[in-house]
Amino acid sequence: MHHAYIDKFAYQDSPVHRLDSRVKFIVVLIFTAVVISLPRTSPSVLACYAVGPFTILVLGKIPLRFVFKHILMVSPFVLVLALSCPLYDRTPVSVAFGPFLWKSSLGWMRCFVILAKFIVTMLALIGLVSTTRFNDLLTGLQRLGLPRLLIIQLGFLYRYIFVLIDRAHHILRARAGRKLRNLGTKAELKIAAAMLGSLLICSLGTAERINIAMQARGFDKNWRSLSKLQIGRSDLIFSLIAASFLLVLHFLVRPLLQ
Amino acid sequence: MHMANELLSIPVAAGTMAVAAASLGFICRKVRQIVTSDKLALMGILGAFVFAAQMVNFRLPAMPGTSGHMVGAVLLAIILGPHLGAIVISSVVIIQCLIFQDGGLLALGCNIINMALVPSYLGYSLYKAFTAPVSGPLRAYIGALLACVISFQVSAAFVPIEAALSGVLVVPFSTFLIIMLGVHLLIGLIEGLITVAVLGYLQQVRPDVIVGSLPGKVRLTKKAVLITLVVFTVVIGAGLSLLASDLPDGLEWSYAERPDQPDFEPAVSNEDSTIAAVDDFQSKYSPLPDYSIRVSGLGETTEEEIEASAGWTSFAGVVGSAVTMAFIWLTAWILRKKQPTKA
Repeated sequence: MHHAYIDKFAYQDSPVHRLDSRVKFIVVLIFTAVVISLPRTSPSVLACYAVGPFTILVLGKIPLRFVFKHILMVSPFVLVLALSCPLYDRTPVSVAFGPFLWKSSLGWMRCFVILAKFIVTMLALIGLVSTTRFNDLLTGLQRLGLPRLLIIQLGFLYRYIFVLIDRAHHILRARAGRKLRNLGTKAELKIAAAMLGSLLICSLGTAERINIAMQARGFDKNWRSLSKLQIGRSDLIFSLIAASFLLVLHFLVRPLLQ
Repeated sequence: MHMANELLSIPVAAGTMAVAAASLGFICRKVRQIVTSDKLALMGILGAFVFAAQMVNFRLPAMPGTSGHMVGAVLLAIILGPHLGAIVISSVVIIQCLIFQDGGLLALGCNIINMALVPSYLGYSLYKAFTAPVSGPLRAYIGALLACVISFQVSAAFVPIEAALSGVLVVPFSTFLIIMLGVHLLIGLIEGLITVAVLGYLQQVRPDVIVGSLPGKVRLTKKAVLITLVVFTVVIGAGLSLLASDLPDGLEWSYAERPDQPDFEPAVSNEDSTIAAVDDFQSKYSPLPDYSIRVSGLGETTEEEIEASAGWTSFAGVVGSAVTMAFIWLTAWILRKKQPTKA
């Protein structure tokens, strides 16, 4: 079982990793909201906002190549959306950027802003997930008032995604080993359905065994976690820094750049 | 189908988040009594099954080189019932957002509504509408197929509506809607076919799984289904007409109630007064309450003098930020290089 590729950096240790998950979650949520509500007229101010999550990623010792590869992987939908802007909005504008001055269209500016916002908010989200263990995040979310049922569900889900994906890989390898050519739509569909069906039945069996094991250990429908959440001094300092970062950008930098 | 943050404005994001959170809370409270520990394990595993099922791809007919995979929302709703199915698919959407970064954090509310609540409830009620009076394998298959296609269409229609209500669309609304509906008609058909095929397989191997020996039975009368359909039509119709009249926040408005139509049923019914409070709160305190739909033009466009100065300040901003980031990175790099030699 390889559990590694999604949050492999969440188990490192750094000042950012040690912060309380609730504080990080709320800061990232507010940061995302602020970035999204920025007007679409000033692309340059987004660069200033990028400094925040960038610092978090660097302090959390997350390799930047991993981060950008991940952003690239999830970007197709936004890319299509952004690239459709120049097609529809051709209002010509002249853009002055330092010593450079060139003619462009409003659509291209919008495309640029959409992509920039996407990258900045993704930096923040990756900064949260890759510096927080999922268990800590769940405990934090529970303290923030998410229903217990949903928390248990998320915990189970996270625990077994990789087990079942491994199993799916076994089935896929078996199909690849036996099916050497295209069999036509009907046969392909039938095979896929049989694979999914047997995976489902297999999962039902696993669920029964897990339930028996949980019963044997005295499960009482409560989610317990070893992670002790406590808002300490470093959390307060972090929130203060984050708040002042956002406020300075909002009141001092933004009026300058717009 | 996963919406990104950039497709939403803050009021719409907050409104949909509130609706999704309230509905999930309501569902969780409602099913707390019937969920025993074996169902908890089952729900968790079936959620993970959705991820694994997406690995199993198959060649699509008529389009060489492409392959499809299953989404599984309707299948889970049929197996688990709509309430538990909605919880499972919502958890899948949350994990996709948090762990896989698929869909933005602010768009989570929209994504839960579009991809979890709509397919579970609409798909299940359509399936039940077909199989409830006389159940036979053929009816079940047609019901499942229709449930997939129609619920996918409705969820796909929600995406452009939510984006248009946010006022961020550059692409004409009708173009976006047609593209979304067209693409998702295809996806829905494929999903329907594979769901039917899986149901057929289960019918042969483990018929007890589908027949309803599993928890989460909900009685749905024909009338309820009809009303649901009418409500969805009205919601979509209202959304479309609101767009024409350029009214903001029409989505929330059509969700809640319509004083001009006394028999209008809320699309997401919950009597929680918190929603109203949250709506009120967010309209008062959202960072940009009068977020304009039309951008009047870039700051750099209008006058020559302003243009030049704005050009320089924005240049300074970008360069300054880049230098700051480079400085932070370099400092961290140097510090890290030093550490192993110390140790």
